Amino acid sequence: MKRWLAIPAFTIAGAALLVFTLYPVVYTLLGSLKTNLELQGGGSFLPSHWEFSNYATAFREVDFLRYSWNSVALSLLTMIFSLVASSLTGYVLARHRFAGKRLLMAAYLSVMFVALGPITLYPQFTLMHSVGLTGNLLGLALVLSAGQSSNIFLTIGFVKGVPKDIDESAYLDGAGYFRIYRSLILPLIRPILGVVALFSFRLAWNDYITSLVFSMPNPAIKPLTVAVVGLRYSANAAAEVNIMTAGAAIALLPMLVVYLFTNRQFISGLMEGAVKS
Amino acid sequence: MRRGTLYLMLAPNLILFLALTVYPIGWALRYMFYRYDGTYRETFIGLGNFNRLLTRDTIYWASLGHTFEYAGGKLLLILPLAFLVAMLLNLPFRGRTAMQAVVFGPTIMSSAVMGLMFYLLFNVYNGDVNRYLMKLHLIHAPINWLGPKLAMLTVVLVAVWEGMGNYMVYFLAGLQTIPKEVYESAAIDGAGYWRRLFAITIPMMGPVVRVVLMLAILASFQDIQSIMVMTGGGPLQKTQVVFLYIYQLFFPIDASTPVQPQIGYGAAASVLTGLILGGITLIYLYISKKLDDLY
Repeated sequence: MKRWLAIPAFTIAGAALLVFTLYPVVYTLLGSLKTNLELQGGGSFLPSHWEFSNYATAFREVDFLRYSWNSVALSLLTMIFSLVASSLTGYVLARHRFAGKRLLMAAYLSVMFVALGPITLYPQFTLMHSVGLTGNLLGLALVLSAGQSSNIFLTIGFVKGVPKDIDESAYLDGAGYFRIYRSLILPLIRPILGVVALFSFRLAWNDYITSLVFSMPNPAIKPLTVAVVGLRYSANAAAEVNIMTAGAAIALLPMLVVYLFTNRQFISGLMEGAVKS
Repeated sequence: MRRGTLYLMLAPNLILFLALTVYPIGWALRYMFYRYDGTYRETFIGLGNFNRLLTRDTIYWASLGHTFEYAGGKLLLILPLAFLVAMLLNLPFRGRTAMQAVVFGPTIMSSAVMGLMFYLLFNVYNGDVNRYLMKLHLIHAPINWLGPKLAMLTVVLVAVWEGMGNYMVYFLAGLQTIPKEVYESAAIDGAGYWRRLFAITIPMMGPVVRVVLMLAILASFQDIQSIMVMTGGGPLQKTQVVFLYIYQLFFPIDASTPVQPQIGYGAAASVLTGLILGGITLIYLYISKKLDDLY
């Protein structure tokens, strides 16, 4: 390709890409600082007056402080459950042979290739209801931690990269499997645990449908996503587009800040999975 | 003793898997034979639910059609675009990693929350999309993006925004596995940019494309979060994809009119849909394996 043509062409393509990707986010963040009138009437790109009171209203009057806390607690719980479940399973499946291993691997793998969509929601809900795990964040976090297949296969791949003689010599010295997992494997697979932590945190922070269903019996456990979308259906939604936008910004910002520091792990974690498959 | 430890270590994930994936599937396989509204006792009706699905439920089949329409539209737009962007971001230029991070950015945001924002952006009267198109004199009258004619296109465009970064990263990972020497020796032999693109890049990306296509098909069958927020399946059920329809059979609470849930019927629709979509996935895997043998 001719160089004098290529450089402007790529620059224009790149600029278009940036506008396409960033505009909706910038719109949300700037819009959260506009008055309702300005948002609806279509004023300038920047807010004419920085309306921080939108946030104050959202936090104080629409209870967003509680929803933010719910989102944080839910995401951290899901992250911890996912880390524990997938690191334990990943270690055992990468290192050991036992009866039923092939079946278990096949089962975990196949659910990645079956489109279940929201089919499982109702039975999940009734099951969790019968053991008292609906209407609280613990039950919701357990449900969100359940679809861990891709994290497990990421962990298996990483554990396999750790030299086997390390844990074999520990085994000969009399260390049990759990001990080997906890004091040898866990510290060595920290990079992939970081990726699993990010992926599961993102899953819980952004989840909408499962959270919507599980917070039906108890609106006090609504996470931010459910609360923000719920504003659309409130009685005076049209008069409160600014509050809705501020709520959306509150739901986005923490994840954006996390992403600012961890985007490399996100991308390399995904690449790792892609190359393996 | 030591074996026991292994099974204990497998337990946390296995219990979650059995309770929250296997049990729901078994549950659906039982309830598909029942009429059940969630309150009164269930009654066994044999194949009655399937009879209704196969012969009378036009909404179900329309929604299945919408799923294919949505999935097809999304794949046609998102995969070539993601491929092009991956090629662009594989070039050596300053700020490349920052640009990758930006393009991947939408995938870390809640599709429900962004769906709500897109609902505002695509609003007929005061949405930014129409406002800018009018300012640039590209259109003369506001376009009803979320009206019956264009709603499907709009939800597909939003899906492209939300998912493109993901596929871009897959393609980028694939591009980076092609050894540089192959390009260098081709360049020495006098192959130009386009020649290298069609003779090296695209053939060598074949296996990657097949995996990515599989993942993209599966994802596009399932994503309903942003559709649910933007249109709720409307207007006139034009964006009612099959999983949204099934969701509403189980949880009709969102609807403006109080409707009884149809649990048994929803279970039957779930199983039928699972079989249809699973069948398509298998056909795809079979064809892509055949293609593998051809190369």
